Amino acid sequence: MENRIAPLEGACKNYEEDLVLYYYGESGTEERSAMERHMAQCMPCRKFVDDLGRVLPQMSSKPEMPQAFWHSYFRETIEKLDEQEARQSWWRRWFVPMNGWLVPAFGTVAVAVLAIVLVIEKRDVVSNIDTASANIPAEVLVDSNQLEFFKSLEILESLSTLEQQEGVKPERKTSFNDSGRGAKAVA
Amino acid sequence: MKTRKLFLAIISFVLLLESSALAASDDWRKLNPKEKDKIRRNYERWEKLPPQDKEHLREEWDRWNRMPQDQRDRLKQRFNDHRGNRD
Repeated sequence: MENRIAPLEGACKNYEEDLVLYYYGESGTEERSAMERHMAQCMPCRKFVDDLGRVLPQMSSKPEMPQAFWHSYFRETIEKLDEQEARQSWWRRWFVPMNGWLVPAFGTVAVAVLAIVLVIEKRDVVSNIDTASANIPAEVLVDSNQLEFFKSLEILESLSTLEQQEGVKPERKTSFNDSGRGAKAVA
Repeated sequence: MKTRKLFLAIISFVLLLESSALAASDDWRKLNPKEKDKIRRNYERWEKLPPQDKEHLREEWDRWNRMPQDQRDRLKQRFNDHRGNRD
């Protein structure tokens, strides 16, 4: 392998980092002088800096790709895009061209249908209420307790009599014309 | 996006109002025409009653609601029998 990079030989452990900074020219003036003084006496460190000058440019060089690679890369990209387009679902292909008007149109139709349904439903409720309950206030119609009260009105009027006939002593003797405290839950 | 959220909020509010109105009138709607007519007649009669009679009936209603279910059923049966005999 002709491009194989030879490994760096070790420098003094204490100086390794500073030597890298020295190589890149990023050490201060004093450190630089200290490095130079040290390298004048230390052969491995000098060799380390020389090796950095040999190895680092090789590491940072970009590999030159052959033209055939770029042709194949372009072809593969186009093929993948075609495949992705072919995978799109039928409804998406159908909807996308109409996206401009279909969504607002659908929304408008939905609102119109909803409005019609609500109006018809309302009319039905109102007519249901109106025919049989012309004189009954709405608060009675929506209160099941009051509806039950008016449904049972005849029994309530005869309640004491019914109890007497059954031989049960009424809980509290009341006459029809009695007045007193009463439940305010009805009417 | 803001308009869409506002639109959805308005629609939800309208639906909520509508459904609550429908639910409220549901008890009345469930009644059959005979029951509705009976309630209407009784309400009209009630309206014409003097206040003390109304008060008495409210008390009777309270008492009726406090009764055990079996007693209520018996009295209701007796009332229906009487009415049947009268009719």
